[in-house]
Amino acid sequence: MRDLAHMDDLVIGLAGSGGDGIVSTGEALIAAAAYEGYHALMTKSFGSQVRGGESSCRVRLSTKRLHNPGGMLDVAVALNWEDFLRFGAELPVSGDSVVIYEAKTGIAPSAIPLVGVSPKQVLAVPITELAKKACGTDKAKNVVVLGLIAGYFGIARESILRGLRKKFAKKGEEVVQANERAFILGEEFAREHPLTQPRVMSRPPPSAGSKLLTDGNDMCAAAAVFAGCEFFGGYPITPSTEIMQYFTREVWKYGGAVLQAEDEIAGIGAALGASFGGKKAMTATSGPGLSLKTEILGLASIAELPLVLVDVQRGGPSTGLPTKPEQSDLFAAAFSAHGDVCRPVLAPTSVADTVDVTVEAFNIAERYQTPVLILSDQEVAQRKETVDPIDTSRFHIEERRRPTEIELKDYARFRATDDGVSPISHPGMPGGNYQGAGIEHNDHGNPTASGKVHAAMNDKRFNKLAPLKRRRDLFHIEGNPNAPIALVGWGSVAGVCREALDLARADGLDVKLMVPWLLYPIAEEIYRDFFASVRAGYVVELSHQGQLYRVLRMFTDVPATVQPLCRGGANPFQPIELLNQLRALARSLQQPAAGREAVEE
Amino acid sequence: MNTAETDGRTYLAKDFKTDLKPIWCPGCGDFGVLQAIHRALAAVGRAPHDIAFVSGIGCSSRIPGYTTAYGFNSVHGRALPIAQGLKLANPDLLVLVAGGDGDGFSIGGGHVPHAIRRNVDLTYIVMDNQIYGLTKGQLSPTSPRGLKTVTSELGSLEEPVNPLLYVLAYGANFVAQGTPADMSGLAEVIEAAIRYPGFSFVNVQSPCVTFGEEHQQVKAHRTAMKPLAAMGHDTTDRLAAMGLAQKYGQELHTGVFYKNPTPPPSLDVQVRERQASMAEKAVPRERIFDAFLQK
Repeated sequence: MRDLAHMDDLVIGLAGSGGDGIVSTGEALIAAAAYEGYHALMTKSFGSQVRGGESSCRVRLSTKRLHNPGGMLDVAVALNWEDFLRFGAELPVSGDSVVIYEAKTGIAPSAIPLVGVSPKQVLAVPITELAKKACGTDKAKNVVVLGLIAGYFGIARESILRGLRKKFAKKGEEVVQANERAFILGEEFAREHPLTQPRVMSRPPPSAGSKLLTDGNDMCAAAAVFAGCEFFGGYPITPSTEIMQYFTREVWKYGGAVLQAEDEIAGIGAALGASFGGKKAMTATSGPGLSLKTEILGLASIAELPLVLVDVQRGGPSTGLPTKPEQSDLFAAAFSAHGDVCRPVLAPTSVADTVDVTVEAFNIAERYQTPVLILSDQEVAQRKETVDPIDTSRFHIEERRRPTEIELKDYARFRATDDGVSPISHPGMPGGNYQGAGIEHNDHGNPTASGKVHAAMNDKRFNKLAPLKRRRDLFHIEGNPNAPIALVGWGSVAGVCREALDLARADGLDVKLMVPWLLYPIAEEIYRDFFASVRAGYVVELSHQGQLYRVLRMFTDVPATVQPLCRGGANPFQPIELLNQLRALARSLQQPAAGREAVEE
Repeated sequence: MNTAETDGRTYLAKDFKTDLKPIWCPGCGDFGVLQAIHRALAAVGRAPHDIAFVSGIGCSSRIPGYTTAYGFNSVHGRALPIAQGLKLANPDLLVLVAGGDGDGFSIGGGHVPHAIRRNVDLTYIVMDNQIYGLTKGQLSPTSPRGLKTVTSELGSLEEPVNPLLYVLAYGANFVAQGTPADMSGLAEVIEAAIRYPGFSFVNVQSPCVTFGEEHQQVKAHRTAMKPLAAMGHDTTDRLAAMGLAQKYGQELHTGVFYKNPTPPPSLDVQVRERQASMAEKAVPRERIFDAFLQK
């Protein structure tokens, strides 16, 4: 399918031991790509050791917009095979992959330990030897690899060299030159040992300007500050900690503060206190922390205080797979509450739309005086991605509704209103004095045990969120809106679905895709409309149970022919795999009597 | 608290009293604590809307509702984290925190050392009655060994915590104890605690009239109490304070145990300074994403 001589899309996977500089190779490559105007995306994967152990990254470059880290590797680089093989399905090699590996391993190209595949082009490269030749030590192995990649595939030579010079400038001219030599030795090796089927990466269009290079956690934190967030309280937990790290660097500049709390509960408690004080506030965590924060989420709901909680999902339960993505916290996000509670849950699908989702989360929180959860995941949060410069004028920023002078004359904090949203004061505001409370309360905030008041307040707290279910802008429907075959995908998996949709449409299939940003409350009508034309489909999720599928069935009539396609974390979906599933669905629709079976891959 | 923040108006204790009738049992020590707080607030002179009163869960945690300030009757054990976030985000507020011995030294006990080491300018008033009163008489973390309660019918086998010794050891810069048996003394230590710049702690021996023992009641306190001022205690001597604090549960010492004469800067003050020094580095919010542009 792909023009092998001239590529516009390239997936490179690298693996080695902790000290091999695998990640810095990927970072150098993606930084150069971003500078040149490529679309690029990089994921890292480690064992959970702090130092040493296995380390890998995938870099995908394209002249077109990218939605996911790609499937099969076009180029596989193994600094040693033991580490490479530990990543299994995260670094899949096909017969078409170019395999480059360290010759020092002593393994013959015909004997590389890949089970069930025999790549046509396998190159044993004396990477360590070349590094030593260039600088006397093996430290520059990763730079040799950069030279090999640039040499073989014609990628971003000048930008990589420019990046290396920038990186090593502080260490002096000698170090800069040694690294340049290592790069050139890699290039020369590529020139002297050409591929049997040479491949060259296309240049990005000349109009492509430099892009942002960032990850989901940084975009989430920056978008929060952009939205006016002035307080962050949290406790470090992988893979969300970078959000707090951004705040500790930046929020002071905007008159805000950050508290690294003594535990997860104190983190959300401090954020809620700041919100009670009238400031936009945020906390971030991962699954185990979400469990600990649940009680205070309930407090935020009954006290009707805005609050944004980010859960960067990882494999669970408990410590689970702390460095791998999974989409298994949706039940917890929507339902882990005591009492009758509805709290909105949103999910970004990429680094870029993390900005939109985060701004939206603050807007919903402030407008409806409610906690809002952002369900990110390890992939979206920690992958590096090129993002087009962001035009911030497209965003509307919501502020909570303050009481007017007149409303303050006879102020009742929880007074019933048509839309269920009562004007909210905060300490420091004369005339707005009230009691915030976790105990059920009357319109003034005073405690009550009246069933009648409790019912009215439940109505108020639920009804105010009803408009969310009509927010069609929080749902993205792609492909033919009347197609009989459908995918539903959320979070990082949505990006794989998007590419599968493009491939399927190019293949002539009549398909469509629903990507919800709003996961909860379930927008019954929007799903009903979407499913109306659907005769077969999948809800694709990276979790064992398929949690969105289950929640959809709880609230809507999902056609019986729409099934979950799901599996646990660290087993990423591939676009080609989903394409095959869609093809099978199309075939089954042509033979209605025969029923249909999922394709077993 | 910085007293320069007062608005110049004169406040009376009744300006801080609401019409709400407390749920406490007649004779509960918390009535006296409430009155002492109102007196202290009047003496300090901040407007009710500039005061935020955060509490947890328990009889004593109802206290913000009986005060005209902003109040937040939150969840069990979490008043301190909420109050710290509130104060850091709004350093101009006078923030009071109240709760019981269960709130502060059992379910929320993990928050106390951190509130103290951070030194956010709060006043934490614990109404310590050595029993869980609201839920009808279970063992509390300060209940004495041997106490028979509904959850220790054969007598408690555990040693109680010593709140005074704990907070002194955690490094608190202002530590005092009071009893509603000595209303003016209690109002005085609460006022001094509020005026102290930084985290201040007041343990109040506030009797539970329903589940408490005879010797724990106000009447018994009147004869048992030993004002530290009359003993010539040096309030700048942390070790001497810790020596006296060891008598918790045996002697009823009242007044200031320890007051650091050179208060270290509170966290909220340091946050303000950092904000001021960093403000000029801010790019306009609408250009905040440009920092990630690959140049």
